[in-house]
Amino acid sequence: MVHILGINLPDNQLARFALTTIYGVGPHLSHRLCARFQIHDKCRVKDLTPLQTTSLASFLQSPKTALPLPQYPLAPLNFVARPPSKSIQELQAEFNAARAAQKQKREEKLLQMGKSTAEDVKGKTTRGRKAPEKKSRDPLTELRIESELRREIRENIAHQRMIGSYVGRRHAMHLPVRGQRTQTNAKTARKLNNLDRW
Amino acid sequence: MVLSLSRVPFNRSLPQGTLICARTYANSPPGQQSPFRIQNVKSTGTSKNKKAFSRKNRIGAFRSMAPSSLTVPVLQPSPNSSLSSVPTFKPEMITENMIGQVVAFSQTPNDPIKYFGTPKNMLLEFRLLSQRCSVIRNITVFTAEELDSAAAEPSHKTRYVLTGPSGCGKSFLLLQSVQYCLAKGWIVIYIPRAKATVNSTTTHTYDLRTQTYLQPNYAQQTLRRILEVNSANLETLTLREGLNYDRRSFSSGTTLAQLASAGSKDAVISSVVLETLLNELSRQSKIPVLLAVDDFQAIYNQKTAYRDPHFSAIRPYHLAIPRFILEFASGKRSFPKGAVLGALTAMDPAFPVTNELMDELGLPGLHPRSPYSKRSKILQEYARGLMNLPVPEEFSPREAASVFETWMRDNALTAPGNDELFLAKYTESAGNPKAFVWQGILGPSLNQI
Repeated sequence: MVHILGINLPDNQLARFALTTIYGVGPHLSHRLCARFQIHDKCRVKDLTPLQTTSLASFLQSPKTALPLPQYPLAPLNFVARPPSKSIQELQAEFNAARAAQKQKREEKLLQMGKSTAEDVKGKTTRGRKAPEKKSRDPLTELRIESELRREIRENIAHQRMIGSYVGRRHAMHLPVRGQRTQTNAKTARKLNNLDRW
Repeated sequence: MVLSLSRVPFNRSLPQGTLICARTYANSPPGQQSPFRIQNVKSTGTSKNKKAFSRKNRIGAFRSMAPSSLTVPVLQPSPNSSLSSVPTFKPEMITENMIGQVVAFSQTPNDPIKYFGTPKNMLLEFRLLSQRCSVIRNITVFTAEELDSAAAEPSHKTRYVLTGPSGCGKSFLLLQSVQYCLAKGWIVIYIPRAKATVNSTTTHTYDLRTQTYLQPNYAQQTLRRILEVNSANLETLTLREGLNYDRRSFSSGTTLAQLASAGSKDAVISSVVLETLLNELSRQSKIPVLLAVDDFQAIYNQKTAYRDPHFSAIRPYHLAIPRFILEFASGKRSFPKGAVLGALTAMDPAFPVTNELMDELGLPGLHPRSPYSKRSKILQEYARGLMNLPVPEEFSPREAASVFETWMRDNALTAPGNDELFLAKYTESAGNPKAFVWQGILGPSLNQI
């Protein structure tokens, strides 16, 4: 039995399915999470390594403070691997050094051509105004789960009430919000719709 | 779900879907405990919920029932119904005058069918037959001759892909080649379901040294299988240079069998051990090596089911096992003596035959292709030099007759086995081997309807 965020994940379940039991994580987010931590589709919860479990748990605790994903260089066509006797730390150090050297070379080239370096260009458009920051396409960067998500929903409902909108009024009256019929069949809304829903 | 086969000929009282298997084995095969799996088939299953799926009571397709539960006389094995007279396969049998002869693959201690496994349809067929049989065709003789000439040449000169429509016998021919080469003393690496390497069913971890995603569990399994089947040959080969990895070290005189054994026990070092084993096999020129891969087109699909941490699909050449198959298949790496054989799976919607393969092998394909159709340059490079070996899409009447007789002797027919039935089934299936066996022989006959 693996515990993540206080939720018990049954051993025999597929990890990709088990993660959907977390509030705020559905099938797509679960797939993304598994991809991020290199968990294959048919991995059962009992097959997760301790490293994967701890990194999953620590990521889900605070998704915003997670380290950015490293670059994974992939072997080109005629790549010849180094012999296995080299340790991983040496390889990592070599790789970082090679990347830093490449970056410096690029910047020197730009300077030579008289153009500003990449860092100066980053924040400015051609007219010198600050360019809007591009929204990341990775939903994991803006992941909200469990209590944070519930808080957000509560805040949204409270906001609707505060501005005096129709949506807020309907929440307050425990009635359907999205234009459903009320002559019959509004049972779920009458039961669940509330200002302090979560 | 119990699936088994009806051998009750004229009993119309049984409903259409009821199937009872009447297979019994006299002796248990070597290395196995009991030939009979006594299953208590409860309709409710173990859980209280009747609809719940329970793996515990699952029997699996075409498994035998215990002979004690075969109380109906018609299901008792008759003395004539045995395939003990079918000759055991030997490499000398693959000659012109043996075309149309059915041979059985005996259960040797290094049985490739047991250790490497087989594609699913073949597995089910072998469960039904009391001996694992296969018929020698003219294409078998041709392939054997090609392999004989390949025994003295580097593997990049003999890279064949078996092609043909669905059910024409590509996987069977591949298995026959594997058995032939093994009997001739080759080292054989047989991957019966290459789909398993790309459909995200095994662990994958990124490795900075090789800049690919290693598949440690699959590598471990593969090493175990290669060791079990080729242990005698691997004992005679040794490491040329020592190997040091992860606090394990193998000195330069270690036999490849010891190396493979160490790798098959520990998933942490298995990928490196497999890589070293393949490097050594690519350097030794004493024993020819056959790399046989079924589901060959699965590794030529641009996107595998794996996703990298950034959620883009991982390419097959960035996964360790498909990469080594691609390198040997393209000739970038080569065994000094040996061959590479691949067999396509014609009808697999998840992993279709790609444009790059179809161009290289000259296949027509289902849809018309133009120069503007999508092709990957890298996969085109990996497909360069593959030769097409088309498998005939129909049995010759002689081959079909032998197959028919084999199943007849094994009590598979539900109608009297005569020329009329044989010709009817042969015509209905247009000679297609799979259709002839599964829909013709094992399917319903006119008398039953």
